[in-house]
Amino acid sequence: MNPPPALCLVLACGNTLRRDDGVGPWLAAWAKERFHANPSVRIVSRQQWTPELAEEIARAGAVVFIDCSVESPPGVMRFARIEPGRQTAALTAHHLGAAELLTLAKDLYGATPRKALQLTIGAGSLEMGEKFSEAAQAALPEACRLLEETLADLLAESVA
Amino acid sequence: MSQTITIDPVTRLEGHGKITIQLNAQGEVENAHFHVTQVRGFERFSEGRPYYEMPGLMARVCGICPVSHLIASARACEAIMSVRIPSTASRLRNMLNLAQMVQSHALSFFYLSSPDLLLGMESDPATRHIFGVTAARPELGRAGIGLRRFGQYIIELLAEKRIHPGWVVPGGVTEPLAPAKRDEILSMIPEAYTHIGLALDWYKKIADGFKAEIEVFANFPSLFMSLINEDESIEFNGGALRLIGPGGGIIDDGITAAKFTEVIGEAVEPYSYTKFAYYKPLGYPEGSYRVGPLARLNIVKSMGTPRADKELAEFKQLASGPVLSSFYYHHARLIEILYGIEKIEQILSDPLILDKQVRATAGVNRFEGAGQAEAPRGTLHHHYKVDENGKILWANLVIATGQNNNAMNRGILQAARQYVKEGKFTEGILNRVEAVVRTFDPCLSCSTHAFGQMPLALSLVSASGEVVDRVVR
Repeated sequence: MNPPPALCLVLACGNTLRRDDGVGPWLAAWAKERFHANPSVRIVSRQQWTPELAEEIARAGAVVFIDCSVESPPGVMRFARIEPGRQTAALTAHHLGAAELLTLAKDLYGATPRKALQLTIGAGSLEMGEKFSEAAQAALPEACRLLEETLADLLAESVA
Repeated sequence: MSQTITIDPVTRLEGHGKITIQLNAQGEVENAHFHVTQVRGFERFSEGRPYYEMPGLMARVCGICPVSHLIASARACEAIMSVRIPSTASRLRNMLNLAQMVQSHALSFFYLSSPDLLLGMESDPATRHIFGVTAARPELGRAGIGLRRFGQYIIELLAEKRIHPGWVVPGGVTEPLAPAKRDEILSMIPEAYTHIGLALDWYKKIADGFKAEIEVFANFPSLFMSLINEDESIEFNGGALRLIGPGGGIIDDGITAAKFTEVIGEAVEPYSYTKFAYYKPLGYPEGSYRVGPLARLNIVKSMGTPRADKELAEFKQLASGPVLSSFYYHHARLIEILYGIEKIEQILSDPLILDKQVRATAGVNRFEGAGQAEAPRGTLHHHYKVDENGKILWANLVIATGQNNNAMNRGILQAARQYVKEGKFTEGILNRVEAVVRTFDPCLSCSTHAFGQMPLALSLVSASGEVVDRVVR
């Protein structure tokens, strides 16, 4: 049931039919193409993050979460380390945030990745549709560059 | 002065619904309703589509049990085509449906209801959720998450996607099972047994602590209906429906998909978008019945697998006839998970499961067809009419939640009358009323999904509409 532990796990989240909510899956698809030959990188894209992902996170060397953000201004990219945490007001069985997933990994499987990072792009529109807003579209080249660099760094750190 | 208590939305359910409890001038409960506040338009917008698109379209009705919709829809199409699918395809579909049942039951029991069972109905709602469970009993959390992954992973292996999968088509399935996939699924079985064994042991230890809830959680005589095999064992894909009375006697039997609409009608109430199914010869509401795990275990004589049969025998000891309290849906759900794991193992142990012939083909040979299957939460029926080109002219879906609708409404009224006295209530009391609905594991969402924040607001409203009290969490 469990794929081999990934040195670097990329976990994207979003709905491709709600415009900028689809930036996570889009970046995941880009990364999959870019890193398809590298077995150390595993890329998983989901409409929602659910508790079943916790075990795979616990076994990964590093994890990069990718999502859109309704808190950031449209098109603004944020990239930061993320720690285990709990936001109980927002808890549902259907969707968890990155911090809650790290907590679950720690509580249930006794481990978290050596490094956990989250890349978000501010949503300009979450209306029905498959076309990104201009702001989100403009942010994608830089997001790709950052993701590629980050994955390369994480892999190098794993080997070192 | 009469008052109405509103619970909106009901939490830890699949989909959005609300409960209203009407109090009389003395503050005693007069009536209670479970409102499903969403509109489903699938029957209507499928009109004009080719019949062979229907399984793929219908699977989008629900993110929890799309497989049951796939199968019921494909069976309705096969009735239109007048084909019998290859036996290997039938068994592969059965395995897919059982995998879905395992993951759906795990979601219901561990994610949605175990917070009440482990932490208590009156416990702090801020921690009464899956995180609270994993913090208090990590092994229980691991079991629940592990079983859900087990079911979802099998669905993904067989049908590519864990939500809204394909693979099941009119005539069978699109491709045979590869030996590597069979071996991978078999390798997951031992851990799944460990998880469900732990959960069953735990549930049996704590169930006695809920005697008060067992008494009033939709605990009343009713009819029960489910699919059953000719040998009276449990069935999720084939067989025919049996309806039993509150004493266990058979009311009707051998109800095929084609006969379903002759004996089952659907009533409408003004307070809900979900219909109320009933057995026509007894009329509405007297002909209302329950479906799902409790109904299935009340009706069948055996599970057909050794471990689950042992558990069924123990379950049957709970009552001299059918087990009537809906609290026992939880117990039945766990036994069905065990059955699902065993049956998947049995199916995969037959070398013929790798047979390459998995699809029959035909065109339109009838202008009307119906199909049925057991979804995790109960019997599911699809019924279509087509023109000579196979274009859908009319479609109707009778879903399990609609078949349990009357019992859910009676159940919340029963619990509300027990717990709400003199117009006074606490959050824990209202959680018990919600927990009655959770025992049925209704699926209200169909094609809709949560968007944004979902606050729970409890309002005490006077007869004149004035909000007397309001609690938001």
